[in-house]
Amino acid sequence: MTKVQLSGVRKLFGTFTAIENIDLTIESGELVALLGPSGCGKTTTLRMVAGLEAPTSGEIMFDDKDVSHLPVQDRNVGMVFQRYALFPHMTVEKNVAFGLSVRKVPKAEIEERLAEILDVVQLSGFRHRFPAQLSGGQMQRVAIARTLITKPSVLMMDEPLANLDTKLRGEMRRFIRNLQQRFGITTIFVTHDQVEAMELADRVAVIFDGHLAQYDTPDTLYRQPHSTDVADFMGAGNLFAARLAAPDRAETAFGTLRVAPREDLRTGEEIDVVLREEAIDMLDRPDAATHQALSGEIVARDFFGANVNYTVVCGDARLSVSEQSRRLLDVGSTVWLDIPPDRIWLMSR
Amino acid sequence: MTQARHDMNRRRERLRVILQLTPILAVLFVLFGGALVLAVLQSLGFAPWFGVNTFPDFSYFGALWSSASFWWSLGLTLYYATVSTVIALVLAVLLALALIKAFPGKTFYKYLYKLPLMIPYTVGIALAVLMLSNGGMLSRLAAFAGLIDDPGQFPQILKTHYGWGIIAVYVWKQVPFITLAVYAVLLGIGRETEEAAAILGADRKTIFFRVTLPQILPGIVSSTLICFAFNVGAFEAPFILGGGFPDTLPVVAWRYFNDADYTLQLQGMATVVSIGLVSGVILFAYLAAYRRYEMNMGRN
Repeated sequence: MTKVQLSGVRKLFGTFTAIENIDLTIESGELVALLGPSGCGKTTTLRMVAGLEAPTSGEIMFDDKDVSHLPVQDRNVGMVFQRYALFPHMTVEKNVAFGLSVRKVPKAEIEERLAEILDVVQLSGFRHRFPAQLSGGQMQRVAIARTLITKPSVLMMDEPLANLDTKLRGEMRRFIRNLQQRFGITTIFVTHDQVEAMELADRVAVIFDGHLAQYDTPDTLYRQPHSTDVADFMGAGNLFAARLAAPDRAETAFGTLRVAPREDLRTGEEIDVVLREEAIDMLDRPDAATHQALSGEIVARDFFGANVNYTVVCGDARLSVSEQSRRLLDVGSTVWLDIPPDRIWLMSR
Repeated sequence: MTQARHDMNRRRERLRVILQLTPILAVLFVLFGGALVLAVLQSLGFAPWFGVNTFPDFSYFGALWSSASFWWSLGLTLYYATVSTVIALVLAVLLALALIKAFPGKTFYKYLYKLPLMIPYTVGIALAVLMLSNGGMLSRLAAFAGLIDDPGQFPQILKTHYGWGIIAVYVWKQVPFITLAVYAVLLGIGRETEEAAAILGADRKTIFFRVTLPQILPGIVSSTLICFAFNVGAFEAPFILGGGFPDTLPVVAWRYFNDADYTLQLQGMATVVSIGLVSGVILFAYLAAYRRYEMNMGRN
């Protein structure tokens, strides 16, 4: 179990700044996602923790020991690459045993640990196969086994679920989760997909342009983003400029919203509001008991099976509303929208 | 009834395939098969256009193979071909590994190293004469720098049976070729498996021999195969830069062909066929060894 700390880490490639300045603490045994758009520096961060790149300045610490300039071979970390990077000329068993054989571990011990780890990843029957003869999910499990057999202090994964189809994705997610809990290994993974980050991680570090934008649990990130950039990246569809007319009233382009008062925001302040699509209730007739008094017209309907998304024009704004498809409302019908004040997130500008 | 129709359809189908293959088969036969058959026939005494027809007659091979000079020539031929291929391979792999890394001026260097590919062998030979001979650039520079008193004292590089001049020309010309092939394979396999190996604790030597080399082996085998086959059959470099008698086999063949006594052309053909046999056997053995290696790794 290892605590990983990045303090004041900066990375330049020539004149290009990949990482401006990142401070990040990953607790021992935690599963953390580095989330950001491509080119934001998340992979560079991961490669620096692995030792494949050296930071230009700042420190990377494992359990309070500076490892910034420790060669990759001596860092005892594990990495599962996005396309697995299995050795194509070796069988599953040779691939998995590679880390032990370069460490000159005795043959008998290699054989024992090999059998054990192949059992963990459920690949005992595939020992003599070559990577080209495996499916995507099996290749990923070989890559994980090859890493875990060396008992790394930190496990890193690059887009672990990106190359898998939907069904396998759920399976691998549970598999990785179980494995991580069973070995209690500190795990960092990189992804550009907010869903992947939320479904797997204990905490998510959102990185934009080499900066750490927010570092929080998935539900906090989703419901209480610190900035419009984060909100946007976490898939917020309804993001509107507003003015706080009173502590509990925000004026928007589609009408006045009743909001929960916040001590850190001043009356009269220009703010942004986030309305989560699934937090909006849609009524087909006005109801005096609702929190809000907003009416609009459905202009589009997208059916996704279990869910259905509506686009509702409300004043000068278009809101998107998502509900379970227990009913289907027609395009053109007038609806009344209601949102509990405590489900409206306010951000100062 | 239906059976008969079925048979007819199959025959028609087969005929169609043969007809479609005819053009390529004709080209293959004229270009390769025809020349090969003719060479073998001639070496066995079939040359009615010279008034010689003692087919089948193994005396040309007999005369050739029973002379000690043939075996000397064969040894020299294989020595030049093998040494230059091995040196070129080692340099080319190092160069390709270097080209994968980022360094200043890489774009320029990537053009520069390919230059010998575009320059003909004969120009390379002329360059070797200019640079390496006694009285060439290197010897004059050495004399100028005071390393030797007179350019004439420069060690003899060309026209010896060590063949350093020949080897230098082959290496100069073939390093870019092998580099190109290996570099392309290296680009294809990417850096990831090497990085994965490093993270798993392997040092640079282990990474090269256990991860990189096995993956670039197909590129190495095919490019060295081509270079070796060329080196065995090449004529100009050993003719101009070689040490004289005993010559390499292609030069021996050329001397027979060039002799005023045109019936010696049959002896020349026997030499050519011998070169073909030797290089064929070696290349076949090389491929078989590689195939065996692949099978041992469990690939099919």
